[in-house]
Amino acid sequence: MTGVRLNEEDRNHMKANKILTGAVLLVAGTLGLSACSGGSGGTNADGKVEMTLWQNSTTGPGQQFWKDAIAAFEKENPNVTITMQSVQNEDMDGKLQTALNAGDAPDIFLQRGGGKLAAMVQAGQLMDLTDKIGDTAKSEISDGSFKAETYQDKVWAMPLAVLPSGFWYSSDLFTKAGITTPPTTITDLESAVGKLKSAGVAPIALGAKDAWPAAHWYYNFALRECSAQTIEKTGDTKDFSDGCWLKAAEDLNDFAATQPFNDGFLTTSAQQGAGSSAGLVANHQAAMELMGAWDPGVIASLTPDEKPLPDLAWFPFPELSGGQGEPGSMMGGVDGYSCSVKAPKECADFLNFIASADQQKAYYAAFSAPPVNKTAQAAVKEPYLQEVLAAYNKAPFVSQWLDTVLGQNVGNALNVAVVDLLAGKSNPQQMIQSVTDAAKKG
Amino acid sequence: MSLRETSVAVTDPETDLAQHGGGGVTPPPPTPRRRPRGLGWAGRFEIALLVGPALIMFLGFVIFPVAMAAYYGFFRWQGYGTPTDFVGLQNYVTILTDPTFLEALGHNGFIVIASIVLQGPVAVLLALLLNRRMRGQSLIRVLIFVPYVIAEVVVGTGFGLMLQTQGAVNGLLENWGLGALAHDWISDPAIAIWTLMAILTWKYVGFAVILFLAGLQGIPEELYEAAALDGAGYWQTHWRITLPLLAPTLRIWAFLSIIGALQLFDLVYIIWGQYVASTAGTSTMATYMVVNGRNAGNFGFGNAVAVVIFVISLVVALIYQRFVLRRDTAGAITEGKKTR
Repeated sequence: MTGVRLNEEDRNHMKANKILTGAVLLVAGTLGLSACSGGSGGTNADGKVEMTLWQNSTTGPGQQFWKDAIAAFEKENPNVTITMQSVQNEDMDGKLQTALNAGDAPDIFLQRGGGKLAAMVQAGQLMDLTDKIGDTAKSEISDGSFKAETYQDKVWAMPLAVLPSGFWYSSDLFTKAGITTPPTTITDLESAVGKLKSAGVAPIALGAKDAWPAAHWYYNFALRECSAQTIEKTGDTKDFSDGCWLKAAEDLNDFAATQPFNDGFLTTSAQQGAGSSAGLVANHQAAMELMGAWDPGVIASLTPDEKPLPDLAWFPFPELSGGQGEPGSMMGGVDGYSCSVKAPKECADFLNFIASADQQKAYYAAFSAPPVNKTAQAAVKEPYLQEVLAAYNKAPFVSQWLDTVLGQNVGNALNVAVVDLLAGKSNPQQMIQSVTDAAKKG
Repeated sequence: MSLRETSVAVTDPETDLAQHGGGGVTPPPPTPRRRPRGLGWAGRFEIALLVGPALIMFLGFVIFPVAMAAYYGFFRWQGYGTPTDFVGLQNYVTILTDPTFLEALGHNGFIVIASIVLQGPVAVLLALLLNRRMRGQSLIRVLIFVPYVIAEVVVGTGFGLMLQTQGAVNGLLENWGLGALAHDWISDPAIAIWTLMAILTWKYVGFAVILFLAGLQGIPEELYEAAALDGAGYWQTHWRITLPLLAPTLRIWAFLSIIGALQLFDLVYIIWGQYVASTAGTSTMATYMVVNGRNAGNFGFGNAVAVVIFVISLVVALIYQRFVLRRDTAGAITEGKKTR
């Protein structure tokens, strides 16, 4: 018995040794793997620079713009390699924050500005670009656009496009319904909705599944009801006690009572596929939608032949009597790109490169969106984009999207609260209350 | 609770034996107990080596994250850097007084009950049907099991598209002249949760059927023969023999279903997206956590929600184990206690 035991123990030893070796190998392998995956890029010993780029375009021409821009930049700077990743727009903020938290951020990424930019700056995640912006970019891009990327007197992102909000509509469907001039007041808009309904067309497409398109309605009503000072102050304090916020919610509630939106707008997404709100406009299933100036490009990617919609036209958000907002004020963002604080210095070079007039023209061609570079703006030929730019340059006050201004927490809560209001799940008072409550969670 | 159980088991092993019918669970004989002690360091080393990896994985990927979630839950934390803004139980107060969370909890409760009520009877009937010899039996078995194998994302995207207001389902209904039956299947808050239940039933009934079929295989044929000789009818046979003997399987299935329903996330998140689940009345605790934690960038708050979900699931699981599953797992559990 003992002999057998000894043998057993010997064998156990051998087995144990083998397992031990295996375990050591496994651990070593894991360490090796993690060593490879850590960090996003940087300068190698041989002077090669590798950078990663996250952008939010998933359309064909949009992705092609980035590929071409990267290729052109790499040709001028042979030691630089940039890897692009397309992140679906709705996933961008969450993924970006996770990556930033993990210290594994991309070197170059989309920057929406506002409270989101402020949070990243406060966390020390962004590269200060104030002294890195080239002279050409400084002279060709307006101060107002840089202001949108400025926080605490420093510039944290390179602006690329101005994307003001307004109505994108099919002029054919408007004509068919007997609407001769685009609505200039909310009453006009309501009567246009009535005419379109009797013509058998869904008047307004709304992608409420993504929440922010519904919230844009509220932002615009708030822009008419609230003064510029109130909006800027609420951005800082997140205090919605000024009566104009409730008034705007009531305005939206009254307007929604006319049932202007497409059937099932609650589960309609904004940009994905023919059933989305942009897709409904692209396929003449709905007459118009309220959207930022990226919409022509999105609509073009969703028409049956993937060409721009021939009868697309634009008008600004209608005026409202009795509000404190200055007429002509616009809601809309400036999309920019930031460098991670850990990014190599070539990141700023790349941003200067894509802000140059030639690249900005290519940007405009790819996205059908108004570029930020004034030289490139001269190349804009679509009447609707010219109108957008004219209105934008004339606007007495341009506010960033409110969810961006308010930051991710309160901004998200506001967006969802607007959807609840439109679905009839809450009333204007409850809507304001739930936004106020959200501040407790962050 | 555990104290009392242990003392019963120790002071009165005969009751214990009698409870389990004696044959199944014999108390461990003394020899094997002593053997590990006599093994010496090599044997212990082997045990440590074999148990070690699993233990490290369990501690590192289950216990440690749970502990960290509990820790983060006490902070107001946006996820950047280390948490510093300690808020005590404030997050928990906010969660438990947030009507949106309570609604989500209510939806989870509804799904737990409705899953069992809807899927159970259907699955038993299907299993009984499939347990008989008939043509195309294996084909039908496969077809019923296919939905369970399809990825949730695929199912969610598919149903999401088909059930849209302008989607295929309403299109079909209108073409068949049943336009009156067309609904906003997923956006009308009055019916959205029933739509979700229908999809869940379609998706998971196959799993229940497979479990029940396996359970049916374990029922001795002799019992049915004896019942037939005694003149029992079809319903009587199933009521007196099939159901009682299938009960352990039913109880385990219900347990898995309850846990799955409490943690439901993917289908809701795919069909209703990041934002509108609460508006449509289909939000669950898990979607609430992602919306108000990750998407809103409130990582401290999100961790607190995770802890609340964990505690609720744990309490439900323990209660179920204690009062329902006890008969089935009693042997295993008492064994575990004795060796400890």
